Amino acid sequence: MANDRYVLKTENLGIDFGGLTAVNNFNIEMKYHDIYGLIGPNGAGKTTIFNLLTKVYNPTRGKIYLDGQEITNESIVSVNKLGIARTFQNIRLFKDLTVLDNVKIGLNQAMKYSLIESILKLPRYRKEEKEVEKKALHLLEVLGLDEFVDVKAKNLPYGKQRKLEIARALATSPKLLLLDEPAAGMNPTETAELMEIIQLIREKFDISILLIEHDMKFVMGICEKITVLNFGQILATGTPDEIKNNSEVIAAYLGSDEEA
Amino acid sequence: MIKVDKLKTAFLGKNKNRSICIGIVILAYIIIELMMFTGSLKSIFINLLVPVTSYIIVALALNLVVGVSGELSLGHAGFMSIGAFTGVVVANVTATMIPNDTIRLIIAIIIGAIVAAFFGLLISIPVLKLEGDYLAIVTLAFGQIIKSLINNTFLGYDSAGFHFSFITNDIQLETGGKMLINGPIGATATDRISTFTIGIILVIITLFIIFNFMNSKYGRNVMATRDDRIAAQSVGIDIVKTKTIAFVISAGIAGAAGVLYGLNFSTLVPAKFDFNQSILILVYVVLGGLGNMLGTIISTTVLVLLPELLRFLADYRMLIYAVVLIVIMIVTNNPKITEFLKKFLKRKNIEGDQNNG
Amino acid sequence: MGFLSYLITGLGLGSVYAIIALGYTMVYGIAKMLNFAHGDVIMVGAYAAFFAVGNFNMPAILTIFVSILVCTVLGVLIERLAYKPLRQASSLSVLITAIGVSYFLQNGAQILWGTDTKIFPTLIDLGNINLFNDQLQISLLTIVTIIVCIIIMIVLTLFINKTKIGKSMRACSEDKVTSQLMGINVDTTISITFAIGSGLAAIASILLCSTYPAVNPTLGSMPGIKAFTAAVFGGIGSIPGAFVGGLLLGIFETLAKAYISSQMSDAIVFLVLIVVLLIKPTGLLGKKISEKV
Repeated sequence: MANDRYVLKTENLGIDFGGLTAVNNFNIEMKYHDIYGLIGPNGAGKTTIFNLLTKVYNPTRGKIYLDGQEITNESIVSVNKLGIARTFQNIRLFKDLTVLDNVKIGLNQAMKYSLIESILKLPRYRKEEKEVEKKALHLLEVLGLDEFVDVKAKNLPYGKQRKLEIARALATSPKLLLLDEPAAGMNPTETAELMEIIQLIREKFDISILLIEHDMKFVMGICEKITVLNFGQILATGTPDEIKNNSEVIAAYLGSDEEA
Repeated sequence: MIKVDKLKTAFLGKNKNRSICIGIVILAYIIIELMMFTGSLKSIFINLLVPVTSYIIVALALNLVVGVSGELSLGHAGFMSIGAFTGVVVANVTATMIPNDTIRLIIAIIIGAIVAAFFGLLISIPVLKLEGDYLAIVTLAFGQIIKSLINNTFLGYDSAGFHFSFITNDIQLETGGKMLINGPIGATATDRISTFTIGIILVIITLFIIFNFMNSKYGRNVMATRDDRIAAQSVGIDIVKTKTIAFVISAGIAGAAGVLYGLNFSTLVPAKFDFNQSILILVYVVLGGLGNMLGTIISTTVLVLLPELLRFLADYRMLIYAVVLIVIMIVTNNPKITEFLKKFLKRKNIEGDQNNG
Repeated sequence: MGFLSYLITGLGLGSVYAIIALGYTMVYGIAKMLNFAHGDVIMVGAYAAFFAVGNFNMPAILTIFVSILVCTVLGVLIERLAYKPLRQASSLSVLITAIGVSYFLQNGAQILWGTDTKIFPTLIDLGNINLFNDQLQISLLTIVTIIVCIIIMIVLTLFINKTKIGKSMRACSEDKVTSQLMGINVDTTISITFAIGSGLAAIASILLCSTYPAVNPTLGSMPGIKAFTAAVFGGIGSIPGAFVGGLLLGIFETLAKAYISSQMSDAIVFLVLIVVLLIKPTGLLGKKISEKV
């Protein structure tokens, strides 16, 4: 692993929608195994950046590098294969499928058996399915969802749905995990638990995490580095302490210290 | 660990559905065969045995596309048609070299299914680039195109081989040669070699294919794509490839159903497999429940038999059929009634009240 | 000259398709449903005209009025009885119900009036005009059809954009719940939409049957499918789209019949449709609805 490479790097990334510039001059250099925070007021462009990184949107300008490789022109599917997985602001689970199936789908693409083998239930199908089942259960255990294995995703409580999305994203064995407001709607206990889980995931699965959050305690609590976004532009980048004491950031977003 | 139990119920649950389905089919077969053996089955119903099984098979195929894959197909009769006429051609051409009816039927079914699947693949290329109602319209268009093409096909066979002409009948057949597809007149003088037994076996094979497909990564991919396209892509699922697989399998199965159907009648016109037919199959699928295979089997059986059972109502039977259809749709979509039914059926899931999704 | 003649005939046919397509597209826009029974409403309109003249000896103007009235009432009745209970249901369920209604109308007609083909009465007897030293012969009926279509198009566009009801219709198309909160009576608005669509179906019926006078219970089937195709092809939900889609479909069909093959004309038209949709996946004038991620 080269020390001068970043797990994620962008150069002047930007996107215009019609006449409106939603994001401009976005530059990030994210080190391996960092937990990196992306914060800013609503409408600042945070989710748009996630969409750019995962190629849901095509950038108007700029470049994106994942693990040293340029991914600016890749598709949503190939970006995932190359190592980025994400969760969504408005939870996009496969609602009618079970918790277990949701995670298994994340593991689908790693399985190699063919269509014929699956229809005839040949040995390789059976073996790979068993392995996937084990892996999926393990992931659910890590995220504390193993009691809900055969519950339909739509019937899970809200906080657990968010965790399931994380499990599903992890199942695709990413290098970089993008979490879009993972603590939204959670109470303080759940939030504290989530903070622990995210740090655990980083260790256990050897990944880097970029997250969007409004909960300042959460962000300041676990992020090594933070970028503040406002009106589609970077306002400041730095460690939590630097950001907390940045006057511009305070004026634009944080308000007084009690906010955090 | 405790989880193993949860696992068992989850896994068996899926195989349980398949086993129940196949079990019911086999049971029905035994009962019907017994009834025929003891002569207690009216000839009207005996004549309907093969058609009902054909419709069940094509309805299951359509459920794979509409229910499992979540795409509306308004042209599936086209695949049935391709299967039917391919089957007729194969059966007629191999009549002398394969005198055994059953083997001939099986070969015709296999070839018919492959040809239909091939056309399914061709058609899926433009179709799956579209979404929603636009996709549906293109399937409708292809159904019409297929009907038109076969309507204008003149295919004959004699000792010199195949003779083919399009739009106009320019074929000169030697005496002893056979006209296989005679344009709008279609196929005539076909040996009726379809049997109920083969039909039931085909139903069981179809159920195996569909259930095993749904329990594999391919099936899960399709269902994920149906539920949320963007999320599916974000976990690495190739939407077009996924839907294509389901579509092609469906086309192949529909083709097999078509062979079974086509070789049950001595005459068959291409106009039979029109838009109305496609819609009819769609009704069977929707009424049986999207994604519900057992439901499809039951609804198809009932809806195919219904006009016969209502024969005593003479001219009014199709009218009653229509009214029944409308009433069922209104009733099953009435919120008061669905609430009542939900309370009736107990489920192992956490009550929806606890979450606010 | 031959080409010009075919073009005009095609425009005439296309005008009929366009008028029918308007019914499909308006109902889709507001109720998000594909009203498969629309084609059969046309059939009922034709029979109404047939009996108005045959049994009641009504003059042409009155016949046309009666036909429009019958279709309008029928359309609203269908909406109230069969579609309204399913407002919250999935679009597939509504589709199946519409199919049920279609069966009902077709079989009802069969029972009431028999399957034999009746001849549509001559309401518009205009003859032909000859242009360019008799090189080009155009049926005046065709011209009238095209003009009627254009008038309907203009009137409808003005209605949708300038009147209060038109605005209600547009609002309901966008967001029913909010419209209701704004004080718009959604039920009435939807019924009016069906009424207009069905009334137009009657006009289409008269124009269609004046050219092709065969009247039987399945007369609405094929024109229905084609007009529905035209509506989607032009961009389902778009009124100008229905207009353009209908006209183009009529032209393609006539040209295909004339220059390629009469038997394959349908297949060719559908093939063109497929090609167009591949280039413009949401129809010619349809809007692309992008999903918020």
